Amino acid sequence: MSRPATTKGTLLRLGFHDPDASLAALSRLDTAADPLLALLARSADPDLAVASLVRLLEVVEDPAELLEEIVDDEGTAMRLLCVLGASQALADHLVRHPEHWRELTDPLMGSTRPAAYALRADLLRAVGADPEADEPTATIPDDEAVDALRVEYRRALLRLAARDLAHDLGLDDAAAELSDLAAGTLEAALAVARQRVGPDSGLARLAVVAMGKCGGHELNYVSDVDVIFVFEPTDGGGDAEPDLGAATRVATQLASHLIRVCSDHTSEGTIWPVDAALRPEGKSGPLVRTLASHRGYYERWAKTWEFQALLKARPVAGDLALGHEYLDTVSPMVWTAAEREGFVADTQAMRRRVIDQIPPREAERQLKLGSGGLRDVEFAVQLLQLVHGRADRQIRPPATLSALAELTRGGYVGREDGEALHDAYCFLRTLEHRIQLFQLRRTHVVPADEESLRRLGRSMGLFKDPVGSLDKAWQHHRLEVRRLHEKLFYRPLLAAVAKLPGTEARLSLEAAGERLAALGYLDPKAALRHLEALTTGVSRTANIQRTLLPAMLEWFADAPDPDAGLFGFRRISESLGESPWYLKTLRDEGQVAERLARLLATSRYATSLLEREPQGVRMLGEDLVPLSAEALTEEMLASSRRQVDPEKAVRAVRAIRRRELFRIAAGDLLGLIDVADVGAGLSRLTDATLEATLGVAGRSVREQRGFEDAPTRMAVVAMGRYGGFELSYGSDADVLFVHDPEPGADPQAASSYATAVANELRRLLSLPGADPALQVDADLRPEGKQGALVRTLDAYAAYYAKWSKVWESQALLRADAVVGDLELRRRFETLIDPLRFPEEGISPDDVLEVRRIKARVDQERLPRGADPQTHLKLGRGGLADIEWTVQLLQMRYAGHVPGLRTSRTLEALDAARAAGLVEEDDAVELAHAWRTVSRIRNAVTLVRGKPGDQLPRDPREKAAVATILGYPPGASDTMVNDYLRITRHARAVVDKVFWE
Amino acid sequence: MGKQEDFVLRALEERDVRFVRLWFTDVLGFLKSVAVAPAELEGAFAEGIGFDGSAIEGFARVYEADMLAKPDPSTFQILPWRGEGPSTARMFCDIVMPDGSPSYADPRYVLKRTLGKAAEQGFTFYTHPEIEFYLFKDTPVAGADPVPVDRSGYFDHTAQSMGADFRREAITMLESMGISVEFSHHEGGPGQQEIDLRYADALSTADNIMTFRTVIREVALSQDIWATFMPKPFTTHPGSGMHTHVSLFEGDRNAFFEAGAEYQLSKTGRQFIAGILRHANEISCVTNQWVNSYKRMMFGGEAPSYICWGHNNRSAMIRVPMYKPNKGQSTRVELRTIDAAANPYLAYAVVLAAGMKGIEEGYDLPREAEDDVWSLSERERKSLGIDPLPRSLHDAIGIAEESELLAETLGEHVFDFFLRNKRAEWEEYRGQVSAFERDRMLPVL
Repeated sequence: MSRPATTKGTLLRLGFHDPDASLAALSRLDTAADPLLALLARSADPDLAVASLVRLLEVVEDPAELLEEIVDDEGTAMRLLCVLGASQALADHLVRHPEHWRELTDPLMGSTRPAAYALRADLLRAVGADPEADEPTATIPDDEAVDALRVEYRRALLRLAARDLAHDLGLDDAAAELSDLAAGTLEAALAVARQRVGPDSGLARLAVVAMGKCGGHELNYVSDVDVIFVFEPTDGGGDAEPDLGAATRVATQLASHLIRVCSDHTSEGTIWPVDAALRPEGKSGPLVRTLASHRGYYERWAKTWEFQALLKARPVAGDLALGHEYLDTVSPMVWTAAEREGFVADTQAMRRRVIDQIPPREAERQLKLGSGGLRDVEFAVQLLQLVHGRADRQIRPPATLSALAELTRGGYVGREDGEALHDAYCFLRTLEHRIQLFQLRRTHVVPADEESLRRLGRSMGLFKDPVGSLDKAWQHHRLEVRRLHEKLFYRPLLAAVAKLPGTEARLSLEAAGERLAALGYLDPKAALRHLEALTTGVSRTANIQRTLLPAMLEWFADAPDPDAGLFGFRRISESLGESPWYLKTLRDEGQVAERLARLLATSRYATSLLEREPQGVRMLGEDLVPLSAEALTEEMLASSRRQVDPEKAVRAVRAIRRRELFRIAAGDLLGLIDVADVGAGLSRLTDATLEATLGVAGRSVREQRGFEDAPTRMAVVAMGRYGGFELSYGSDADVLFVHDPEPGADPQAASSYATAVANELRRLLSLPGADPALQVDADLRPEGKQGALVRTLDAYAAYYAKWSKVWESQALLRADAVVGDLELRRRFETLIDPLRFPEEGISPDDVLEVRRIKARVDQERLPRGADPQTHLKLGRGGLADIEWTVQLLQMRYAGHVPGLRTSRTLEALDAARAAGLVEEDDAVELAHAWRTVSRIRNAVTLVRGKPGDQLPRDPREKAAVATILGYPPGASDTMVNDYLRITRHARAVVDKVFWE
Repeated sequence: MGKQEDFVLRALEERDVRFVRLWFTDVLGFLKSVAVAPAELEGAFAEGIGFDGSAIEGFARVYEADMLAKPDPSTFQILPWRGEGPSTARMFCDIVMPDGSPSYADPRYVLKRTLGKAAEQGFTFYTHPEIEFYLFKDTPVAGADPVPVDRSGYFDHTAQSMGADFRREAITMLESMGISVEFSHHEGGPGQQEIDLRYADALSTADNIMTFRTVIREVALSQDIWATFMPKPFTTHPGSGMHTHVSLFEGDRNAFFEAGAEYQLSKTGRQFIAGILRHANEISCVTNQWVNSYKRMMFGGEAPSYICWGHNNRSAMIRVPMYKPNKGQSTRVELRTIDAAANPYLAYAVVLAAGMKGIEEGYDLPREAEDDVWSLSERERKSLGIDPLPRSLHDAIGIAEESELLAETLGEHVFDFFLRNKRAEWEEYRGQVSAFERDRMLPVL
């Protein structure tokens, strides 16, 4: 043996994967093996290439000649082995038609692209038709012609694949040549159809207009070929009226035969399916139409997407003159489509379709559909052509890459973005081509097995770590495409308003306005003004804004109120001005910018908090969990002590409160914290605020009165929803003030001092200022507004001993002494516990009394004009219903059930359930309703910027509330239906438990 | 716009249509109509035609009065009774809110939602109604007894009868509107007619029933007579029902059919019947929604009073018709409670929901009633486990108020409105002093 040099190790190094089998195959090549080894190593799959070569040698007429040729001519060898290593299907074709290997010997292949007319002529001759004839007609027997067409098609495809794989054909060239090949094939198929129809075929002139990828001159190796048929009756000459009926029949026959000739399966396989579904009226419309009928349809009935399809129309076969007439007729209409009513809505729907329609399965490995797929690029480019193509003829080319190039040149897309997208598109399409080439199957899914990935990677020139490199390149380009909308739609808007010196063309203001409207901004002019204000200049700030805004604009566009979002962003950016951290944070921490965009375009409440103190933006990078009461109190006390002037001290406290309000609102809006956390967070925040302010007020009064020490100890008792840890945004804090004079102090002076402190506290917290005021409401005190603002502990004891009414006991259920002197707080609770949690429960008379009061409240408290079904607080199954039910259980049973001794609704409800006072299911219904209603109530405040107790009636507000609650767009009435159901269930439980 | 919209717009042109009536149905089943000129229709397809929902019975919460009627192009028909010359067409509408979300107040949406839920399980719901009605000589006058157009009875062939002429013309008109008529004959009462529509999916059937009622009234007016779908116009003659044959299909296959099973009735079919039986009381106030409805169901005959099923038993609430060999596709069950004055959208929705509940929960079918239920004694019925249907609207409302199935199916808004409205109807009725009372009491008390 003369070839000991080749070992398994050599083969493995060269990229073979099955050295045993390949060694055996190589031995069959004899002396040719060595010279071919290096070329085999450059093929996509060397094992497959050598195995296929051996198969070919077995069937070829003169194996010695073939071997000699490829050993002598490196070009031929390279072409043959590249094809054999990358395409199983073409290898099979060669085995079936071994003589075709000679096709690959043509030395000019590397430099010459066959002309479209030459391909057409070859294909026509294959079916025995005369390429020079006006209406070429096949002459060989029908079944032979159908097979001959398939063989000829593959012969041409073989040459194309060889050039593509071995000579680095550009993607656009390969795709264009595939389209030419398809056009010639359609022509030859029409020739076969003419033969089938017979002499009558002359009655109609038929034009085949390619649409989609074939029309755009950017076809895949294997895909449906989209066409539309146009016909006219042949002019009979002389006086004879052309017969429209006969012509329709003939044209329909020709068209349907043509479709079958291409798509039928024979012993030579099939070519590709011809799809005529893009025709007017789709599959239900007639297969062929006259020019006038097409015109009539597009003038009156066509939809935006149909015009989008016409962007790619191109006559490719049959009567080309007629085809061009068709094009001249319909293309002007394409460019007026943007003036049609409903265009903006249609475009928005199309844009959303691009974003939304991510097929669940295979999405990750799909090249065509799905996020970052080819369809995204094609669709987005066409959309831009429709939006701007009316005014600018330059951007109308049908091929995606050419259109993208023109859009870039015209400034509709930024230059770098255009280039990046171009590269990404080429890469993804080439990958798609290589996948399809292997089996000549129509697929857009990247295979997951290592063997295929290795072959694909190598076929694209990635010989070093083919699997890893391919994956890396793929992910890189996919990422480029994923941020496509930002690049294509939003970034150029900034170029339009930025008055920057530069040579790059940019979007006109008018075009920018059109585009903003198409993206859902209601007031494009104002939006452009904001953009201009934000990005003008050469400062660093303007620079960063220009990189930031495209993404922001997209996030705004996806939220309920894009215009408000952009306007809010402008105001905040202006007030933060040059703060070094602001733009840096937005730019470098993507999450902060997206959260900010969503808040601004959803919530007036959060926007107004931010406007007062934009520093809050920083917080959006954190996890937004409410701070603990201890930490808050400590911070507030510390910063109030640094100020001597009481008003300044409380201003510091209120600033911290505002900051924390924003933290809670943001966490709520972004769905990061639960509704119970919101209530608890707001209540704790109020605790800390009151604690710090009580200190300041005390200091202030002592200073005024010249006291060294306070003559009395003070505490503040939280009541109502505050006491229940259930505050919502913007609610008042219900409280009681209690004090206890120091031993030996003058009771009169102590009382006067305590009243002054309470008044000072309320004044300081309600002073007008930049930060939201906190209204402290003491109306629940004994004797209400007529009673003393502050009482001593003894006075409370005396009052309750003498006057206590059941409604007062009920109010005390929610009492939580949280602020001020610790000892006093404890004593106050000890005082009221027997009242609110009587050992034997309240008397039957009191139960009746509670029910009677509730009945009156239901009747009288609902504001005029309120809808009792949807009033969140007092409506059917609303908060009052649920809370009264729980409170009645507490008053009756807390004496025995310690768990009921709490000020919080959900805790008490849970204890009642555990004690068997409420059935499991009922408790679940009540808790669910309470949470839902509370969430909606919070959402209403967030959206409107002020509190509200009614489910919103305004459609926009209703939609925004539904969005915050997580409903998809267009489901606001579903939210109402859910609300009504949940509260009806709650009411049923209330009827059972409260009213018995 | 889709192809169907295109078809409509083209037809307007070709048929010289001057007005299009946009039809929709209020919660109680009354047909509402807005006429628009063809020019406005394109806008109506895209966005709908705005109207004040608070003016329509049961539509709006007072403060959300703005609603839109969006025509369904697949229901486009030229109205045949407008004679020669320029024509008028009609389309049924879906009701939507200003933000484009479907309105929960729209009975058509109630049915669509319920059909959608069944479709998730793979089922399509087909119905075939037999609609009865009376023809009177004159338009109704308060206080006067109506006079029927003839004195014939069931299946009577009467020479030159007004009823036969009437049926011929009505059927011609229905067919010209694309509503196929299966069968028509004289019914049991004097002047009472029955016309059966061909089976179709429930939404089309409901649309067809609304059209049917309009056509029948129009034809009657054109012949100077009066047609009524009132459930029970006479004390002594039978009432007007709307017996409905129902079946479920899974794709092309009738899901009620199982070769070799008893009555060729599949498990699905048995569970469906069980569902309707178990929830019959709850849905009664929808299938029989008027005070007058319950007077139809008191005296036996064609109208059921008891919750039971039987094979070919005409006294049962649900009848499983005789199986015809080789007609597996036509296996169906006949529900005999629904009356001719029900809101067909709501009635079919609740029937389907009850049946589907039976399938989902796998209810067992109670034993079949083999005897004439009317002839059994109270005690016999009790021992056989045959319960009565509600005896009055009042009873029906009381049961309905507790029904989760009904609330779930109708949606909260319709559920709430409907029951409030029915309660008000009952209260008003309760306060009436009737001719019966005067006739009995004045002479003797």
